[in-house]
Amino acid sequence: MPNTHKNRSPEASAFYTAGLILLGIVVAAFIVSLFWTPYAPDATDAASKLVPPSLEHPFGTDNFGRDVLSRVMSASKYTIFISAAGVAIALILGTVAGIPAGYYGGFTDRGIMLLGNSIMCFPGILLALVAVAVFGPSVTNVIWALGLVFAPTFARVCRVGTMEIKELDYITHAHVMGVKPARIMAFHIFPNLVPQLLPATVIGLANMTLFESGMSYLGLGVQPPDASFGKMLSDAQSYIRVAPWLIVFPALMLVFYILGLYFISEGLRVSLSKGGK
Amino acid sequence: MAHHIHIVKVHHLTLSFPTRKDPNPKPVLDDVDFGIRDGEILGLIGNSGSGKTMTSLAIAGLLPESASIVSGSIKFAGKNLLEMNPKERRAMLGKDIGMIFQEPSTALDPLMTCGKQLEEVLTAHKDSSMTPEDRHKTIISMLGTVGFATPEEICGRYPHQLSGGQRQRVLIAGAALLKPRLLICDEPTSSLDTVTTVSILGLLKDLCHKLHITILFISHDLSAVRGFCDRVMVMKDGKIIDKDTTSDILNNPKNTYTAELLTNARLDTRILGFEPATVDYSRSPVLTANGITAGYGRSLFERVKTKSADNNILHDVSLEVFPNEILGLIGSSGCGKTTLIRSLLGLLPHSGIVNIKSSSIGAIFQDPVSCLNPAHTIKWHMAEALKASDKLKAFAGSGTRAERNSRILARITAVLEECGLGAEYLLRHPKELSGGQRQRVAIAMCLIQEPSLIIADEPFSSLDASSSAELLKLMTDINRERHTAFLLITHNIHIVRQICPRVLVMDNGRICEEGTTSDVLNDPKSDCTSRLLEAERQIHGV
Repeated sequence: MPNTHKNRSPEASAFYTAGLILLGIVVAAFIVSLFWTPYAPDATDAASKLVPPSLEHPFGTDNFGRDVLSRVMSASKYTIFISAAGVAIALILGTVAGIPAGYYGGFTDRGIMLLGNSIMCFPGILLALVAVAVFGPSVTNVIWALGLVFAPTFARVCRVGTMEIKELDYITHAHVMGVKPARIMAFHIFPNLVPQLLPATVIGLANMTLFESGMSYLGLGVQPPDASFGKMLSDAQSYIRVAPWLIVFPALMLVFYILGLYFISEGLRVSLSKGGK
Repeated sequence: MAHHIHIVKVHHLTLSFPTRKDPNPKPVLDDVDFGIRDGEILGLIGNSGSGKTMTSLAIAGLLPESASIVSGSIKFAGKNLLEMNPKERRAMLGKDIGMIFQEPSTALDPLMTCGKQLEEVLTAHKDSSMTPEDRHKTIISMLGTVGFATPEEICGRYPHQLSGGQRQRVLIAGAALLKPRLLICDEPTSSLDTVTTVSILGLLKDLCHKLHITILFISHDLSAVRGFCDRVMVMKDGKIIDKDTTSDILNNPKNTYTAELLTNARLDTRILGFEPATVDYSRSPVLTANGITAGYGRSLFERVKTKSADNNILHDVSLEVFPNEILGLIGSSGCGKTTLIRSLLGLLPHSGIVNIKSSSIGAIFQDPVSCLNPAHTIKWHMAEALKASDKLKAFAGSGTRAERNSRILARITAVLEECGLGAEYLLRHPKELSGGQRQRVAIAMCLIQEPSLIIADEPFSSLDASSSAELLKLMTDINRERHTAFLLITHNIHIVRQICPRVLVMDNGRICEEGTTSDVLNDPKSDCTSRLLEAERQIHGV
């Protein structure tokens, strides 16, 4: 049959290229910020407040005289770290709950899905805000709150995929061979869920970044003096007429990151739906 | 003669799937050149992967996006199809060219009643003069033509309320509604049992005469072609290597490949040299099942709606399989064969006793596509089977991890080789194997567990003649050399006649006849056995 070799469609390639370039800008900023930033991100300089972009300060400075480029670079660290850790938690919780729900069905399924659905019936951001308000605003709490809020989405993807796969002959065959249920779920079913989980993970990363920015914007996410895109946007609000660069650069980075992730997930969707049967 | 006007003329068609890595791959269709005469039934036979389906898709204009036509032309009633724009071609589809697919279970929308789906066919090709009443009348009369006694009732039913054969009839009705000039049938009978196959073939032939439809019939089932087609073409590796009238091709083939195909299709043990082991019936059976009654649970709603308590599919089924034996189990579809093996394998709750002598029974299933896990290599599959059985320790023995692994690998390679698959298959993924090879991996996975019994559920029905012959040879070899017993479920009575010393016939969830194969098949005592035999006789044209 054709398509035995990896044969990526041009459509998918275009999405991948665009996505990787946009994402690459943010990731490059993150990696460089680990070793070097032009100025210390929280170093104030009273002499140069609200300086427009220049050679000395490529992205300008803010109302405390802090260098915006340095702050944007260090903010990318929190954005990437929080979204990655949050998605990891959501993915693990969702898989561990979703696969058994789909595999066993019946009361196990109802119990797990009741829990998941009761989380999903509240607006996600509201739930995360409440959790952070109760347990106190900190990066760890934000990660846990977002992980829990996003877990049911992954659980649903896993549950539906499992219900489909468990009816196939190779699972019956494994059953007949005497493979134990836990092993069937982990080694026979899970690898076949990856094509469905991959786009969901990438979309989850993008959505989680939006949530995190929203929470930081409201002051419940990353705490000052650490920089985060949401916090920078909310601080810049009052200076939007005199210093638009304070808004433009963090917002652009946020857009690059989220758009990059969406492009990659779109590329994944195109190539996986064409390649897989 | 009217017969010699060509309705379709395929002229030196070459088709391939170019990729960026390999812009000039081996063509899938290589210089295919033939004509379909007006009003005839043309058979197209060949093994899987020979390009039969691609030929039909090219005529219908339904080729996958990645296909590219390198050269040649297809003319339908004088018009070159390849030069038409997509809109014109779509208008032709259904109206001039109809198509019936292999799988009737997925070709109908589960959320639409049959009547509604058929009406869709009529509204898609707008004929403004037709009122809804006219359309309804046309549909009802067409459903009558395809052999439904109560067309009004069928109209209101959903696809899941129909059997496979009935669904295929509805699909045929849908294709015939617009009275296309050409009807392409892509293996329309391969997922149906013999009795249904005979009636569907009869129906198609009837339509061909009544409505003057030309049929292109694609099949790997040579016996279906025999009584049905006027002319036959044989395809191999994308080329048409033989074409002639049906009787000439099937009775005295001139081409060596055609002859080989015919020999394989006959599955004649004397010619192919298979011989099952002799069975000693005095030994204790490997599997004893006593009074199995089983069924599927119903929803609460159904239980309230119909009060009858009996929703069982199997009623008091008892059977014994002896060591070394290949026990045949035949019956029309829906008689409970699959439910029986699910009960035997312990996959379905049932009442009654199942006694198995050894720890493991192996199983191979009908569908070679889903029998292996697409995410893993063949080696992983084999290792998994070995791990799941209690034999792992015995083979691995003691020693370092590397030593144990090399011993396991040696064992896996040996079993695969026994099943005719070399070491080069170890790291392949299932999608890189053909249907027959996958079924052999499934058997190898059973063998590595050293079961005393392997249950095979219609392993041949989706394989072409050559793969079936190879699989059959493998099964008889295993039976002879390893003394493994088989419980073979099939609707191919021909195979049963040749390799099974004993046979069971099932009907409506009961075993209606049991005995040595020659007794049962030569002198059937029950109605259902005679019905099955009659259908087989018709299809083989004996």
